[in-house]
Amino acid sequence: MPDQVHSSAPAPPRSVGRSLLLSLPMALFTLLLFTPVLRQPGQPAKLAALVTWVFMLALFFLMMRTRQTYRWRRIFFITLGFLFPVGFIWDLVALRSSMSIPIERMLSGDTPFCFMVIPMTLIPAALKKTIIFPGSILPTPSNPHSIAMMVALWLLATVILGKAWCSYGCFFGGLDEGFSSIPKKARVRKINPKWRLAPWAILVAIVLLSAATFEPVYCSWLCPFKAVTEFPQVRSTQTALQFGIFITLFLGLVVVLPFLTKRRTQCAFFCPFGAFQSIFSRTSIFDVRIDKEKCGAGCLLCQNNCPTLAIDQEAIRAGKLPSSCMRCGACIDVCRKDAAVWHIKGTPVGVKPERARLLYLYAAWTFASMFGGSIIAHSLERLIGLVM
Amino acid sequence: MISVTEAFALGLGSGPICVASCGPVLLPWLGAEPRDLRGTGRLLAIFLAGRLAGYQGFAVVAWAAGLTIPLDLRSRTLVFGLANFGLAALLAISACFTRRRCAQPPDKPHTRLYQIGAANRFRPPAALTLGFLTGLNLCPPFVAAGIRAAAAHSLPGALAFFALFFAGTCVWFLPSLTVSSLRRFSAVPAVARMTMGALAIYYAYLGVVSAASWRLAPSRAGNLVIFITRTVSHA
Repeated sequence: MPDQVHSSAPAPPRSVGRSLLLSLPMALFTLLLFTPVLRQPGQPAKLAALVTWVFMLALFFLMMRTRQTYRWRRIFFITLGFLFPVGFIWDLVALRSSMSIPIERMLSGDTPFCFMVIPMTLIPAALKKTIIFPGSILPTPSNPHSIAMMVALWLLATVILGKAWCSYGCFFGGLDEGFSSIPKKARVRKINPKWRLAPWAILVAIVLLSAATFEPVYCSWLCPFKAVTEFPQVRSTQTALQFGIFITLFLGLVVVLPFLTKRRTQCAFFCPFGAFQSIFSRTSIFDVRIDKEKCGAGCLLCQNNCPTLAIDQEAIRAGKLPSSCMRCGACIDVCRKDAAVWHIKGTPVGVKPERARLLYLYAAWTFASMFGGSIIAHSLERLIGLVM
Repeated sequence: MISVTEAFALGLGSGPICVASCGPVLLPWLGAEPRDLRGTGRLLAIFLAGRLAGYQGFAVVAWAAGLTIPLDLRSRTLVFGLANFGLAALLAISACFTRRRCAQPPDKPHTRLYQIGAANRFRPPAALTLGFLTGLNLCPPFVAAGIRAAAAHSLPGALAFFALFFAGTCVWFLPSLTVSSLRRFSAVPAVARMTMGALAIYYAYLGVVSAASWRLAPSRAGNLVIFITRTVSHA
């Protein structure tokens, strides 16, 4: 959070018994989720699943007990962001002893499919019935990260959670959230709000260029996370240039700028998938509202603490956050007047907001445990295997 | 003899590729100039006129030079390198100088407001020039049309073939008129200008790559391509 301001009158914590009771459905679901892994013969896999199960459950319990969302979600999200590259790189090194992928392997459909590609595939798929990605539709032994699986997961999360994908599902966002959490105060405070439009511009540019060139332009040229996952093998001036761009963008947008601004700069000012996901924020029944009567004069704590600059004074006046809101809960947790609230569409604003929060968290945490939890468990298994 | 239906069908069939090829230039430009349907249609018509001029220019060259110049690797690289630099420059200039609307009260978005003080008089002649430069694109359908146009017995025949081919592709450009419906979103022109800035970098990169290829390409390297193309077309 850019400025850690604690509520002057925080909501009293829930009793331990009630918090446990509210966590019980999540405990049973996640136990069901990790049972197949717990039955596996390998000791590291069992231990990793057990640690992940306890970790996810403990965070959910703390969300119930403290009635706070943001800081517990952030622990999960940063863990996911930093552990994902560990497991991913580990597998790549085990598979082909390098993070780089040769062009021959790409052409044979061995490139793992990432959700970032989805917006770029739409126009070519509509015009030419072609998926412009060198991956495989169904999982194969050499490429388990198939197109069909990722698209299905993304659709499921998008219909239920909308833009909250960026706070609970994205395995990249945790990195810049992690670096933005390190300093106590922001060194750069004034950011021109026009930069919030940049992800839309990048989205339009990459979608149009991908349709023109029949290649996923963002993956080839602009993805900062190629620096910590997989990149084309450097064999020419062009691939060297691409690699240089990946490293520069990663250091600039994911490490340095979040550190200086205490904002998720990559997510707020660059990520085209975030802009694409904003289009689907209407599909979710959950959103965040600001009760204008309770807000009164406006302390702007929510605006100052929004990690992605989604809140401005116009949004506060309207009582409704824009589609770029990632539903991370930072504004709700810092609001001293309980004016910022979780809300279910079609219901009156501010009436039983805790019930809306619970319903939202059950949905979001179920997905987080299923998707992010399995990634965390996978990476932990690799690390535990190293020690044991 | 040219076939009317063949030229039109070729254009109609390859229209999606043409739209995909011109989209990165056309759509941000239309978005940056928020107008009603008629205004957007006028801009689109100017753009397409420029594109037709580019096509016809190629038709003249294709007919007069009997395929030699359009398919010579070195000449082709030079033409497309210059076209890419031109596109980059025009997009960058348009991103900076496109007419900006006065801020309007949110409750009355269609109020007529007049700018007081010095107006930005510089208006780049972008629509026509952008259309012309995108018309110089050597995409696969364009090559197919070029080969057929070169086989025409007269210059008017080649021009007519390209005009009909162009008419066929134009059908696919009509959906871009829907950009006018985005003008109710106040952020669209700013996003479109940023997009043009990003695309200017891309086209400048393509220009640099073309310039490097032009320096490296042997002047007669295209001869093999010409030989194969002629053999295939005659067969």
